[in-house]
Amino acid sequence: MTPLFGIAAARLLGSAAALLFLTVLAMAAARRIGTCILAYGCQSALLAAEVFAVAYVRHSAAAWVVGGMVLVVKTVALPWALLFLVRRLGVAPRLEVRVAPMPSAFATAALIFFSFTAVQGFANELHARENLLAASVALMLSGMWLIITHRLALMQVLGVLVLENGIFLAALATTFGMPLVIEAGVTFDLLIGVLLMGLLAFRIRDTFEHLDVSRLRRLRG
Amino acid sequence: MNALLLLAPLLLPWLAAGVLLSLRRRPAAQVLSATWIFGGLEIGALGALVVAAARHAQAWSDYLRADALTAFFLLTTALVFALVLLYAAGYMRRVPPGRFASLPWFYALLFVFLGTIVGVYLAANLGLMWILMEGTTLASVLLVGFYNTERAVEAGWKYLIVCTVGLALGLFGTIAFYLAAVRGGVGTAHALDWLTLLRNAKHLGNTPRLLQLGWVFLAVGYGTKVGLVPMHSWLPDAHAEAPSPVSAMLSAALLNCALYALIRFQEIASGALGSGYSRHVLLALGLVSALVGAMLMLVQRDLKRLFAYSSIEHMGIVATGLGLGGAWGAYGALLQILNHALAKCLMFFAAGNVRERYHEARMVRIRGLGTTMPLTAAALVLGGVALAGLPPFGLFASEFAILRQAFNHHPAAGLLLLALLSVVFAALARHLQGMLGGRPVVPPTGPGEAAGGLVAMGICLALLLLLGLHLPGSVHSLLQRAVAVIRS
Repeated sequence: MTPLFGIAAARLLGSAAALLFLTVLAMAAARRIGTCILAYGCQSALLAAEVFAVAYVRHSAAAWVVGGMVLVVKTVALPWALLFLVRRLGVAPRLEVRVAPMPSAFATAALIFFSFTAVQGFANELHARENLLAASVALMLSGMWLIITHRLALMQVLGVLVLENGIFLAALATTFGMPLVIEAGVTFDLLIGVLLMGLLAFRIRDTFEHLDVSRLRRLRG
Repeated sequence: MNALLLLAPLLLPWLAAGVLLSLRRRPAAQVLSATWIFGGLEIGALGALVVAAARHAQAWSDYLRADALTAFFLLTTALVFALVLLYAAGYMRRVPPGRFASLPWFYALLFVFLGTIVGVYLAANLGLMWILMEGTTLASVLLVGFYNTERAVEAGWKYLIVCTVGLALGLFGTIAFYLAAVRGGVGTAHALDWLTLLRNAKHLGNTPRLLQLGWVFLAVGYGTKVGLVPMHSWLPDAHAEAPSPVSAMLSAALLNCALYALIRFQEIASGALGSGYSRHVLLALGLVSALVGAMLMLVQRDLKRLFAYSSIEHMGIVATGLGLGGAWGAYGALLQILNHALAKCLMFFAAGNVRERYHEARMVRIRGLGTTMPLTAAALVLGGVALAGLPPFGLFASEFAILRQAFNHHPAAGLLLLALLSVVFAALARHLQGMLGGRPVVPPTGPGEAAGGLVAMGICLALLLLLGLHLPGSVHSLLQRAVAVIRS
């Protein structure tokens, strides 16, 4: 029983990368903001599963705690908070994008391809799983892609969250995660950050009567 | 004893914030007196720590440490905070209505902001340093958006998103260093402790490509917070739209704090890779920032944006000094940090007075400063002379030291810096001279200069003059020890 679980956990570590790419592509191709938030939730759930797999394989109590934190904060609390913001801010469910969904998905696919070539040299040096490392770089890049291609303020928040997921995965894939205290602090910062972003989103809506950051152009030069 | 020394300045601001928020329904006078009491205590605690850490490095548990370099930065921060409190008392007479826009919130957030900055300096753990650095953004974003106007909200949003993304890259760089340390045989419990990394720098050098990658990410990440070009886009907006005491805190305390993090990482990187690589990255970023900052100063229309770009230019000069290295480069860079902090406090205080009086910050609409507010006008002129790096003010001495290092080792960089200084002089002279004479376009109806603000500006000027004419012995020896930390 136990070795079987161990093998399954190790397999999960490797094959979860493919699922992570899927969430990233789903976000790029999404036409509705709800889809993006759902994809983010799935992505975080995958990360939590990875951390639990690490905890199981390495018998690390700290990793169980980190996994629980990821599950509670990133899989439940943050998507819920984003959905709450969407409802309270009265955001239209259809996304207005600068890049149409299909080209955006192609660009993200290109980013994924690029992340594989980018990590090739490092994967050997670091004895890390190449596809997980590539997934972390792809998450970072596609987070930035979301930030620059979307007009809606909330999508920028989502972009930051995806970027942070990528960095979290980078630490997980190479060193089985940073010390517990530090991970907890980073997660706390993330929570406060999203809280403040939500607060500012309300202010943007109240002062500008829209949430389109591409139309915030008062400050120039 | 160590615990008290290190924990008091770290925790007092949070206590102060809590007390101030509990005074929300009390009259302004009570809020102000609580601010003064806690401000005094905090500055005293910082002072005690500076004195102690300047002699011997202090440490508490695995998480807090202060050495001479920390002491130098803390000295600058304490000075800036004292000046800002002095100025803010008079400046914040008119508080716009709105959520989080009240005197207790303003001071509470200011204390939290200070607390996170002090935390960055005291952190012995690079992960903790990152967490607190992100904390500085989070603590100050509501201060930047304090006025709740369209422009302030836009500046706040931009500040939060740009700095969070930038710092996220810095976290990636931090992880790269952590990884290099773990691979180099340092235990995971201590692989983020900067002193441990510094002592084991040779082992970190086993994975040079990883460290180089990490250093570039750190330079970009923390460089965003320093305001280095091309990651500076948040800086002019945030500095211009924030209330003036906050602008001074951003420019004179926050930017230094990010620079401090870069210095710590640079020590480790140069220990592991040799000093060449990490220094060249800093030198390139610094020269580009100084160049772009100086050029953009020429075309500014808003008084506070002018000084914001001047901050970019000065941070560029400091990064150049650090990139040049050597005894004079490092010495000049640190002295420049102190001088710049004082000069920028002076300028943002003066600009705040002007904006309050004229309800206007566009320089073409501001005329006749010489007659309407002569003391502020004099401060602007003298501050302009100081910012341009002319004697007898302190910035002359520090820029001279950096130039001296430049001409010894990188004459091209030296020539570029000299050319830039003349551009800066031209920009400041052109903009300031226009505002002094003539008749006011709009009649200045706002309140006049507050006494506290004038005293604060006077102190800035006196200290700048002192640093320019005769560096006090104690400051000099602190500087020497801090330079020794950088070069060790």
